[in-house]
Amino acid sequence: MNIVWTAVTLVALVALTVTQPQSVLTVCLDSCSQAVTTALGLMGVYCLWLGVFEVADRCRLVQGLSRCLGGLNKFLYGNVQKAAEQYISLNFASNLLGVGNAATPSAIAAVRELEHDEKLSRNGAMLFVVNATGVQLVPTTVMGLRAQLGSANPSDILLPNLLATLLTSIVGVALVFCVYGRAK
Amino acid sequence: MNYVVPVLLIAVLFVGLVRRVNVYDSFVLGAKKSFELSWTIFPYLAAIFIMVNALHASGADVYVTKLLAPPFKLLGIPPEVVQLVLLRPFSGSGSLAILADVYKQYGVDSYVGRCASVIMGSSETVFYVASVYFAGTKVRKTGWAVPIALFCNLLGAVVACLLCRVM
Repeated sequence: MNIVWTAVTLVALVALTVTQPQSVLTVCLDSCSQAVTTALGLMGVYCLWLGVFEVADRCRLVQGLSRCLGGLNKFLYGNVQKAAEQYISLNFASNLLGVGNAATPSAIAAVRELEHDEKLSRNGAMLFVVNATGVQLVPTTVMGLRAQLGSANPSDILLPNLLATLLTSIVGVALVFCVYGRAK
Repeated sequence: MNYVVPVLLIAVLFVGLVRRVNVYDSFVLGAKKSFELSWTIFPYLAAIFIMVNALHASGADVYVTKLLAPPFKLLGIPPEVVQLVLLRPFSGSGSLAILADVYKQYGVDSYVGRCASVIMGSSETVFYVASVYFAGTKVRKTGWAVPIALFCNLLGAVVACLLCRVM
């Protein structure tokens, strides 16, 4: 991330300075303000979902979910601590249901349970790849935009989308297995 | 699909009531964590936004798109959606804006429009996710995780364009 960010930002800023030097500061400041508004917006979203998660946890609903996904979790992550496993299950369920906003706080919580080192662990990599290959079943945002712009059939992309998502997720998981080995 | 979230929320509250959990206290306790969470990811967001916006404002993204259009064409990705494929790993809102542009320019139900839909639906904002997920942990070396995710997104784009041809 350090190298990618620095290299790309450097190139972009040089290009921007050459083409329109007066807008460099505006762009940077606007970006930071955008980060403030986004972080505040996310805080609202996380507030709702973390609250609901806590209630679900106290109701022992999360344990139930965790038990349902036990086989899959065992295959992907092996034996992980209970807390991490519960967050992973929450994350998977949120992704599957298309509640993408709820997937982020649960994933962050899981990562915090899993990672204690500078180097990303195998299970952290697995969780990241599962999320970054989009296990979402129904692309609600895309379908909404299609409907809004007058598509004759907004949902006709469902099947190709599902196949593409499944394929990328399977390949992603397989690659993690190749690089990091089986779950312990 | 409109019922998923409402049913979920009602179900959680209902079970809480049945199992005699202090629903109100639990909600407040959980919600409290959101402040610390968004506080931690905020500087990472700022860094990502500076990179993406500078890239976009300088016009460097258009240049890179032009440069990469021929090799992407070899993979079966039409030039009209190359910008979407390239920006997608960096910015969710940015790529959504490009998706809307593609719809308006080439038609929602055209081949290009459908390709763009599936590309958008089957991919993720890899760099954004990486910076947010690992915010507040010690993780500095992400190893193969990001390359694997990027490769999968590219593969998804290739497969999306292929599937839209036959489906």
